[in-house]
Parts: sequence; structure tokens; C-alpha cells
Amino acid sequence: MPTTSDLEARLRQASSLPEALDAGFDAFEAIRMTARDCQDQVPELFAAFVMAADAAVDGREALTPAPSLPHAIGTEPGSAGTARADASQVADALAALAAVLRDRLTDAAAVADTPDDRAACQDAAEAAGRICQLMTR
Amino acid sequence: MTITPVFGDFLGPASKHIAAAVSSRGELPFDAQCGVVGQLDRLVTTLARYLGDLHDEPTLAPRPERNAGTRNAAARLALGRAGQSLHQAAAGVASADAGQAHPVVGHLSAAADYLAAGRDLLQTHFFVDPAGARTGASYWTPVITSGPVTAALLGELAGYAQDLAPWIARLSGARRVGWDKLTSAQLALRSAEPWLQLAGTAIQAAQRAHYPLPARSLLAAIPANAPPPRRPPIPGEPVHELCERIALTAERLRYAAFTLADRSRWPAATSASWRRDALASAITSHGSELILRALAERAGQLSLEADFQAQLHTAACGMARAWKTWCAVTDRWDIVTTGHPRGARPTPVAIEIGDLALQTGRLAYRNPHWTPAYGNASLIRDPAGLAESPSDVITVLAAVHQAADAISRIATADHAAVLDAAADNLLYLPTRLLPDKYDIPHPYAQAPRAYAGALLAAYDTAIDAATHVTTALDDLAAAANAPSSVLAAVRRAATPTEHGQRRQQDQRPTSQPRVLAPLPGRTEQALAKLKIRDPALLLRAAVIDQAACDLVAQAKAAARSRDIVAGPASRLSPAVRHDGDRPSCVASQDIGTARAAQLIKPHPDTITPGTSPGRSHPVTPGRTRRFTR
Repeated sequence: MPTTSDLEARLRQASSLPEALDAGFDAFEAIRMTARDCQDQVPELFAAFVMAADAAVDGREALTPAPSLPHAIGTEPGSAGTARADASQVADALAALAAVLRDRLTDAAAVADTPDDRAACQDAAEAAGRICQLMTR
Repeated sequence: MTITPVFGDFLGPASKHIAAAVSSRGELPFDAQCGVVGQLDRLVTTLARYLGDLHDEPTLAPRPERNAGTRNAAARLALGRAGQSLHQAAAGVASADAGQAHPVVGHLSAAADYLAAGRDLLQTHFFVDPAGARTGASYWTPVITSGPVTAALLGELAGYAQDLAPWIARLSGARRVGWDKLTSAQLALRSAEPWLQLAGTAIQAAQRAHYPLPARSLLAAIPANAPPPRRPPIPGEPVHELCERIALTAERLRYAAFTLADRSRWPAATSASWRRDALASAITSHGSELILRALAERAGQLSLEADFQAQLHTAACGMARAWKTWCAVTDRWDIVTTGHPRGARPTPVAIEIGDLALQTGRLAYRNPHWTPAYGNASLIRDPAGLAESPSDVITVLAAVHQAADAISRIATADHAAVLDAAADNLLYLPTRLLPDKYDIPHPYAQAPRAYAGALLAAYDTAIDAATHVTTALDDLAAAANAPSSVLAAVRRAATPTEHGQRRQQDQRPTSQPRVLAPLPGRTEQALAKLKIRDPALLLRAAVIDQAACDLVAQAKAAARSRDIVAGPASRLSPAVRHDGDRPSCVASQDIGTARAAQLIKPHPDTITPGTSPGRSHPVTPGRTRRFTR
């Protein structure tokens, strides 16, 4: 189970478009699963977490048809390692991860060669931006 | 604030003007008599058109006893005869404005205007396609054609005819006055009066015989078929304005859900829209639960009836179940998808249902600037801050009821669309989320039966929960006489046959509503030869003639159908069958939703490479690994 820090590091270290897309896909999936785990913890934050999970699905779906997204190679994405954290800490971690994700995908869109890759990165960056907005205190 | 006109806005004034006209006791000058004839002609024509509409509207089969439309033939014929007398006289009047200055004529003219406008309002809920098929155009259509509302309308029409008949009898002069002493206008009125009297009696008989429970308030509440304008949420609105806004948004969503019912299928709508609907339903229901719990507490503080408190508590529990079932639907949509076609836009429902979630959230939480974002998270409203007085409790309850009703309708429409997508094998899984043992060189794989079945089962459960809580709120709203109680009446009036009726409407050719001014038939001619002038006997004869005409028309239609069935085989070939005729589509409308998954066309039990949305073949490896955009 990767931590949000692991995922952030992976995003930062991605040196090519396929690596960025690969890390981005896994980051969205981790955000989705983590947000789902937390959505019932605090009634006041229910809407924030369910909408973050939904935005993560949007981001993942945006990346899925990208021509440069590599075929999965046995790394099943999982929930980010935040099981023992409270909802506020989880939100902070997801906001930070989403911010890195948004920036990395925005950069990737700028260097993408094909319109389809570029559009996928732009749409996914927009979804990451929404997650960041939803999870920021 | 724009207010949509309702039928009652026209019915009420029309009744008042007729009452004012018939309260006139004195003799009218000749000019006014002519004016009365002209305006009565308009009134009677409009009344006949109302009855013609009932005749042309589809029946609520298979319960023939509810079919008032065909049972008011006598009334239509009687009005036709009355109209004939008046029309001939009116045509002979030199000026169409004769007697307009007289208050009585003015009242009749206004009544005719209001009734005509009211009929126009009702007609906005129907449209006739180029082939002549009459179709419902709003979610109110089944209400308008329902038994109780038809009964209420018949009651109103009967009342008008019965008020007018004795009055025009007085106007046309005492019976002992000879025909030669009457003016031409009085002659026309005297000729029309017995027919109008008969029409009133016949309409009332139809109403009483078949519709013992008229629903006048529901009739009066029928709005023009036009959604109210969108009012995007504004931060900082007080509770009562939020409640108004929720009602408005809910109404817009009901319209959108109906309008899109046939257009919410893939590719016009994708999983992104259905997912967004489910998400907003979850957030709205979650907020509604918090509101209902606060209302239950407040009801206790205000010492409202214990039963009412208990009902609020029960509704809150039902709402808790509802949002959890919506979360289960969104969980399923996390994995299953129709793909991400470039340029696909959310449906109008998906765009606006977010407004409902936001408005409900602002009602549930203290922060007037509440949004779903963590940064705007807030404590739940204090019960006294939510509803200061007992009337506030009812206002807020009505808002929750409105939201629940809209969600329930959207859920039904979305479920039907998802069922179609599943039946057409348009549901996929991202292959990257599959275990390693699946080596599929495509971005998506077709969703196995178990996934599609689980998604549909989640919808079944959510719809069940939504229906349950909406019914509980129907009862609460009715008990509290809340402004939203009309929703319960609408559902009761429309539910039994809405679906079947819509299909029936789609198939049914129609004629334009007509005013009857028939030529005498054989039976009536026979009576005329015998110098029979008793209107009751003449009416019976006319009804017999009309029944004979109807029988011949029905027989001709049956003969045409027989010829079509016996025609060339190519008529029934699959090549010319419409999509809507597919057995799977038709069957899916008839079976229970729990069995829906079994209807899905030959479907993989195991995971197979997906086909692109819009394509009929698998995505070609090496050429492209993504969906066609």
C-alpha cells in the first residue's frame, strides 16, 4: 500500500509522459479509494469526500484513453496508506497529493505530442484541481 | 420571481364571471341580448372543446369504467346542438362587438376568454406528432387524463352548463310568451336552453357515475407546461428563500427528467452524467436526513403532535437509508463506465442536480456560504435556526419533500437508461483495474454480467429506498397540509398507469378536438319526420346515430389492421423494425427491475476486450488503444 508521499514522489520523478500518466492514473485511483474510506467518518465532511472520490473517477477516466498511457504492468493501485489518520489529516494528505498531480499533469499536457494525450492531461489536471479545492481546509 | 400560471388562475375567474353574469335578473336591451348570444356561442364552443379533448385523450385502459371520454358523447352532442342554435343567431348579428358595453356581456366574454386560455394551458401538456399520434408532453399529462382530475373538470363544466341554462331560459322570455313576440336573440336562446340543460345533466351524470372523488384542488394546480427559469444558488439566502429555491430547482429537474426520458440513453448521456446524478442524489439525501432530524427535534421543542414527530423521525431514518443506497450506486460507477467520449456533455439534469445538492446543503448547515468543499464545511444548523415556528417546520419539510420527489423521478429515468446500456453491452471496465491474470491490450474491457448486474441491483435498491422515503414524505406533507402536498396527489393520480398510458398514447392516432355540430343521423331524421321536438328524445337519437358512426369507424380500423397483418412478410422483417420494438426493450418495460440483469443480451461472464463506444468491433491493437472520440 503506497503512501500519499510515495505517490507524490513517483509523480515528481516521472521523467517521461508515459511515466507521468502511469503515476497519475495510480494517484487518482488511490485518492478515490481513500476518499471512499473516509466519506462516512464525519457528517460535515461527507459531501467533500464523496465529491473528491467522484473527481478522482473523472481524472482516471480522462487518462484511461490517453494513447501514451502504458498498459498495466502488475501494479494494482490501492488506497493511499492513511488508514489510521483522522478525516482532517486524510484531507490534508489528499489535497497535497492532488496539488502535485494537477501540476505534474499540467506540465505533461504542455509536452504531449498528440492532441489526445494533451486533452487527456488537461482534463485530468482539471479533475485534480477540483480534488485539491475540495480537500483544502 | 416568475410564477408559472396554473389552471386555477383561469378556472377561478371564469367561474366568478359566469356567476356574475347569471346573477343578472333584469331584462336586457336588444343590443345586449345579441351580445349574450355571441358570447354564449363562444362559451358553449369552448365547453364542447373541453369535452372533445376528454374524448380524444387516451383512456386509462384497462379500466373501462374510468373512461369518461367516451361516456360524455351525449353531453358533447347536446352542446353541439346548443352551439348550432347560438352560432346561427350570432352569425346574423351585424357587429361582433354587439352589446359589449353591457356588464353581463362583458362577464360572459371574460368567462369565455378565461376558459379558452385554461384549455390552451391544458393543451401544453400534449403534442401531436406529424403522424397524428398524441403524446404526453410533461409529467402532468397522466394527471390531467386521470380519473379524479377528469372528474373534477367534468364537475366544473357541468356546473357552468347548469348555471347558464336556467339563466338563458329567463332571458329568452317567459314560456307563455309566444314565439312571435320574441326577438331573434331570444329565439336563439330559447332554442339553445334545453340543450344546454341536457348537456349539464349529462356531464354531471358522467362525472357522478364514474368519478366519485373529484380532485378540484389538483385540477386547479395544473401548471402551464413550461419549466420555471433557472435560479443558480446565491450564498447567504435565508431559510424561506432557500426553500423556495429548492422547490423551483426540483420542478426544473422534474421537467428535465421527463423531457430527457427518451433522450438520456447512450450516447446522448454517458456514465459521467448518471454518476453525477447518483452523487448529487447521495449528497441531497444526506443533507435531507440532517434536516429531517433537526425538524423532528424542533417539532418536539414546539410541542407539535407526537405522531407528527414520530413521522418526521421515520422519514429521517428512511432518508438515511436512501443516501447510503445512493453511495452504493456511486461505488459501482467508480469502476463501471460507458467510456469517456470526447465532447460528451452532461445532460441538463446532471448539470442542474448539483444546484439541488448545494441548496439542500445550505439548508442543512449553518454556513450560509456552504459548499461541499472542506474549506466551507460547517456545523449542522440548530433546529430553532432552521424552523422558528410550526409554519416554518412545514415550509422546510415541503422543501425536503420537493427534493426527494425530484430525485425519485430522476432515479427512475436514469435506471431505465442504464438498463438499456447494459442490455446493449455498453458498460465497460478499465483494464488497468483488473487483476494481473487478465492480459488485455485495450484500455477497456466489457463489464462482465456480474458487474452490470450489481450496478442495476444497486439502482433497484436506491429506487426502492427513494420511493419509500418519498411516500413517507407524501404522507407527512398531506398530514401537515404542506404546499408540496400536491406532489403526493400528482403521484397518486398518475402512478397506476403512467407507463402503460405513455406507450398507449404513442401508438394512438388522434383527431383534433372538435366541436360537434353534426348533421342529423338516420334515427334523428326519423324522429324529425315524426315531428318529435323533445330534446331528450332527439338527444337519444343523436347518441344512437353517433354510436353507429363510431362502430363503423372502429370496424374500418379493425379491417385496416387485419389487412396490414396479412400483408407482405417484409412488413414484419427485422430490417424495418424500430429500435423501440426490440423485444428486449419492450420486455424491459414490463418486467420487474430485479430481473433486469437477466435480460442483458448475450453477455460475457468473463472479461473480454471491449469495443469502442460507437463501434461494433474490438479496438484494434497497434492502431489505437483508446475509444473513438
